[in-house]
Amino acid sequence: MPCERKPMRYGHSEGHTEVCFDDSGKFIVTCGNDGDVRIWEGLDDDDPKFITVGEKAYSLALKNGKLVTASSNNTVQIHTFPDGDPDGILTRFTTNATHVTFNSSGSRVAAGSSDFMVKVVEVSDSSQQKTLRGHEAPVLSVTFDPKDDFLASASCDGSVVVWNIEEQSQLISWPLLQKTNDVSNAKSLCRLAWQPATAKFLAVPVETKVHLYERGTWDHVSTLSDDLQTQLINVVAWSPCGRFLAAGSVGGSLTVWDVNSKLCVERQKHEKGFTVCGLAWNPSGSQVAYTDTEGCLGLLDGLSTSTSTKQAPTKKTAKEYDDLFDDDDDDRLMDEGLSDTNSPVKKPVAGGDDDDDDDDFLVPATGRVRNRGAILDDENSLDTGSLKVGWDKFRDDEDSSAAAPAAPPLVPLRPVYEGPRPSAPQKAFQPGSTPAHLTHRFMMWNSVGIVRGYNDEQDNAIDVEFHDTAVHHAMHLTNSLGHTVADLSQEAVLLACPSTDELASKLQCFHFSSWDTNKEWMVDLPPGEDVRALCLGQGWAAVATSALMLRLFSIGGVQKEIFSLPGNVVCMVGHGEQLLIVYHRAPGFDGEQALGVQLLQIGGRKKQLMNGEPLPLSHKSHLSWLGFTAEGTPCYVDSDGVVRMLNRGLGNTWTPVCNTRETCKSKSDHYWVVGIHENPQQLRCIPCKGSRYPPTLPRPAVAILPFKLPLCQTSTEKGLMEEQYWRSVLFHNHFSFLSSSGYEVDEDGRTQSQKEQQELLMKMFALSCKLEREFRCVELAELMTQNVVTLAIRYASRSRRMVLAQRLSEIALEKANQIQEEEPEEQEEEPEYAAVRRPSGYEVTGGRQGNRRQQEEEEERVQELGDEEEEDAPETEEEAETRKRVNPFVKEAASPVTPSLTPIGKVGRANPFKVLGSGKPSSSSAQPRVTNILDNMTSSRKSSQLSGSAGKPNKGPVLKPLAPRAKAKTQSTLLQMTKKKTQEITQPAAEQQKPAEAPPPASPADNTENKRLLPKTGFQFWLEENRKSITADHPDLEETDVIKEAMGRFRTLSAEERLSWTERAKGQTGEADLKKRKRAGGGGGGGNEHGQAEADENSAKKKKCLDPSAKLSAFAFNKN
Amino acid sequence: MFGSSAGTSRVADVSSGKNKVLGKSNSLARQTAMDPSEVEFLAEKETVKIIPNFSLDKIYLIGGDLGPFNPGLPVDVPVWLALNFKQRQKCRIVPPAWMDVEKLEEIRELERKEDTFAPVPSPYYMELTKLLLNYASDNIPKADEIRTLVKDIWDTRIAKLRLSADSFISQLEAHAKLDNLTLMEINTIRAFLLDSLNCMYKLRSNLQPGSSKGQFTDY
Repeated sequence: MPCERKPMRYGHSEGHTEVCFDDSGKFIVTCGNDGDVRIWEGLDDDDPKFITVGEKAYSLALKNGKLVTASSNNTVQIHTFPDGDPDGILTRFTTNATHVTFNSSGSRVAAGSSDFMVKVVEVSDSSQQKTLRGHEAPVLSVTFDPKDDFLASASCDGSVVVWNIEEQSQLISWPLLQKTNDVSNAKSLCRLAWQPATAKFLAVPVETKVHLYERGTWDHVSTLSDDLQTQLINVVAWSPCGRFLAAGSVGGSLTVWDVNSKLCVERQKHEKGFTVCGLAWNPSGSQVAYTDTEGCLGLLDGLSTSTSTKQAPTKKTAKEYDDLFDDDDDDRLMDEGLSDTNSPVKKPVAGGDDDDDDDDFLVPATGRVRNRGAILDDENSLDTGSLKVGWDKFRDDEDSSAAAPAAPPLVPLRPVYEGPRPSAPQKAFQPGSTPAHLTHRFMMWNSVGIVRGYNDEQDNAIDVEFHDTAVHHAMHLTNSLGHTVADLSQEAVLLACPSTDELASKLQCFHFSSWDTNKEWMVDLPPGEDVRALCLGQGWAAVATSALMLRLFSIGGVQKEIFSLPGNVVCMVGHGEQLLIVYHRAPGFDGEQALGVQLLQIGGRKKQLMNGEPLPLSHKSHLSWLGFTAEGTPCYVDSDGVVRMLNRGLGNTWTPVCNTRETCKSKSDHYWVVGIHENPQQLRCIPCKGSRYPPTLPRPAVAILPFKLPLCQTSTEKGLMEEQYWRSVLFHNHFSFLSSSGYEVDEDGRTQSQKEQQELLMKMFALSCKLEREFRCVELAELMTQNVVTLAIRYASRSRRMVLAQRLSEIALEKANQIQEEEPEEQEEEPEYAAVRRPSGYEVTGGRQGNRRQQEEEEERVQELGDEEEEDAPETEEEAETRKRVNPFVKEAASPVTPSLTPIGKVGRANPFKVLGSGKPSSSSAQPRVTNILDNMTSSRKSSQLSGSAGKPNKGPVLKPLAPRAKAKTQSTLLQMTKKKTQEITQPAAEQQKPAEAPPPASPADNTENKRLLPKTGFQFWLEENRKSITADHPDLEETDVIKEAMGRFRTLSAEERLSWTERAKGQTGEADLKKRKRAGGGGGGGNEHGQAEADENSAKKKKCLDPSAKLSAFAFNKN
Repeated sequence: MFGSSAGTSRVADVSSGKNKVLGKSNSLARQTAMDPSEVEFLAEKETVKIIPNFSLDKIYLIGGDLGPFNPGLPVDVPVWLALNFKQRQKCRIVPPAWMDVEKLEEIRELERKEDTFAPVPSPYYMELTKLLLNYASDNIPKADEIRTLVKDIWDTRIAKLRLSADSFISQLEAHAKLDNLTLMEINTIRAFLLDSLNCMYKLRSNLQPGSSKGQFTDY
């Protein structure tokens, strides 16, 4: 029975609606929540007549030119039809009537009401009333027996009752429905229908089936069902001939059965899957009109009843069998249970918030038919046909395949296609926004601020609020254009609205950081192109449109690059110069989404970093948030709550870093992510109790979740440390990215995390040693830096693992060689880098210096660790110092959450309470205790040259940093043999330094100037003595470079030596020298002036003493 | 100071105290009773969550480090600082969890039901309510209802306190134990109770024959 589904049209405002035809079948009459009855001359009637019957109209019935309506003033009233003049009130209830109906002749009206009563009234004389009492809950629906003897009614108390009208008594009552307390809560409206003409059957919609009861015997004779019908049936209606029964479900499906054969002859879907709440056959029998709870009217046309009548006799025989089977499986209880579990029951009135959110905003691939309908027939897809063609086609195929078997009628309708189903592609969204259909919603919540949209009766406005009021004051914008998407940055607010019939899609930008007076610009998109997603970066804006286009604008409104996207955009975000776009790569199947991701660099060096790689999502989930960390690493969250971050260190792979659902207490709780920070490691999100999205009021508070890599066995010590290590490595990646793209880097954070990593490695090493896993030890050692490997060697040799120690020393050698090889390269690269990042090169190089220092410090730390574990007590003096030194570290470790500065455009924070380091603007000043002013003075270029310069002339001081260390601890037996080598190697270095010790040459004039300005510092003394050697090494250096070079060298001296120089400057030279010699002798180095290892142990303490003088000297040179 | 831990207190020793207490009791009572503003001062040390709208590194204070302050990110600070920021419009205050109509209603019901003092949500509930509602009522949903509820709780408790003091005196008890009293509550009744007990002791000892009258006439 092929039929045509006409497109839906708007009829009434949202809410319950009903529909009927007039006697001639010429008019469709509807009523709805707006209190109007509309009279349509066919579906295309653009100007229907309307009669206002009250504030709300709950039900209507039409016969013999009388229109009976149940309205909100608790009356049942009559209007003339089609004129619409009021014709009196039929009856009143104490609350509103829920359903009215005429009998077959039109002489009586039956009305059921929420006050539990059913009244039967003579139309001609409203005083003749019969009241049927007995229901114990609001009456859902009523229907007359065509022969006028009986009346059937369904009620919220769960019963379907047949009444004898004359006797006003209950004839029979079936407990068929679920009990509810009100019509609005009833799962199904349960509109009964009595077969016209023959009056043989009473059709009762029960769950997903229709029960037929025989008049007279009141037996349940058969059940009409359809395997594809998974939702509750809301209304049923008989065809005028009484052969067919149409049913509309809460999920929007429309089914027509042939009652004789009990076969489904027609299946249709509501185009948006809304609940069908009104259903009427045209008296001619060829049309079915239906309305939904959203107030729309639809029509099925061309239902030809004739074709199937021919077939009817052939099927008659089968009927008995069918009856048999139907009786068998009519286990009502079981049905109830099934339908409860299988079909997500929807209320007829759209009320479920959470579910609705899902439906309308994102498309969860739950496989619910209603959702699929909702998405596939998204109204946007009509004007962007090109994008959705594939989908529509697929859908059409599905439909036609469903319809095709119906061509030879009475063959059961089954779709042919059995393979994996394509899942609905998720709609475009703005990360950090709540669904667009909410009247009060967040249009954007990001690290800059909050954009809220209000769209209710009183107001259509947008509120922009900044977390940091220093950025800009809050703004209130009237949303006259109907903006739906927004983004917010430190510079501007970007808004866009979809196109309407008259107006093109617009892009509006409030560029509040502009220094001229025009803070606003607007751009119209070409006709037929709609904004789907937009984002702001630093100095640019990007818009993805429905025409698969990506348009770039400057923040001031200049149109820039434009390019095509490979697929329908899902969302995009910008950060600094990076633009991240996620789009549909292909149709996904079985609930999966197939998304692709593009990462572009916009700005100075334009390039594509990721080119359409698939975006990994959890099983059957969709993308729910996309963004950058504050440090600029792309990350995203899927609907399963898994947060993934780009691992630039592993070829741009995605690593899951957190599962927010694991921390949820209840299944329905979610975390709504608003931002991610790498340093400190923070996942900022809003906990939503029992929903996916937060409400705008009360104002939600941000919570912080920790990250956790899903490594195995994190309950064990090993697993825990491994997780910490790899997390630290992952969250460390951004440093190298930032510095390579020329941003200022928080060096303290960097050194901190490096130190943490090496410490963890050492701990893991110790653990593996304890477990006798030497191979694993070697594997761990390969991850260590060279300095830490030497400690590992010592640890191994002390715990008498000679084989291990030997292998480790090989690794150490290898690493040292690597460093050696890298250094020249680095030098070559250096100038290039410097050219690229001139503005920030200073900080970066300063940081490298910091690294070096950090490594040394860390060595000490780990050394202590080893010492303590071994309980191999060195000199007591040293131990005491160790303890003293631990303290500052402990303090730092206790508060690892150092204030992080977001890398770009951050306003420097002035702390009025903080005294320490307040004078120094750079981020490296946060740890004034260890900051030596020399660090900032010497560039890494110098320092790398320095380490090279010590080596270069001597051809191979490979182990220079290693050697003195080995020497200091002579207990290490294994190293004896390497020691000899290193001694030999360092020998020349020592010799080279020796002439430096020679009496100073006449110092140049500017130095004498210094003398006059200030008393000499230790460094100046040293400089005087060594100037010659420096100038000899680098004859081409200018004066300032010489000083820098000298500083670099001075720094490489041991703290003790430096101290001695300082003391010499103070006139205590003799004493200091003595001390120095003693120490050097005790170390067993014998003439090696690098008593570094030992000195290092004391350095932390001594450095403090050194600091003031170093500062002074630095000051002196600044004056210079 | 009398109530370093405000949770429990004893009115006991006051009346059983011998002469030495009485000698100085008048002046002592006045000294030991804390001014409400002093109690409020102590209450200002309690921490409260704020959402700052500025960014600031950690601040290092004698009482401990505070911050760092990130715009939009909740952070715990003492009440005095929170109010200071609030007055300068530098933050929004997140009301403490107990400052919620439903929870306070529960507490009120419990307080009314029990004869003894029920545990209070915070040792400084009255002071905090007053401070926060006076300065940050726009950040607290249903501020008026909360004000009424807390006042109700306070009234109920003070009535109980008076009642117990009354029965304590009329039954000539030597000591009594009162749990869950807050500092503010103790201090509202302390001066009056001590003074009146002194007075009564004086009167009573004058009545009793053979008591050392002389001592007190001198006094």
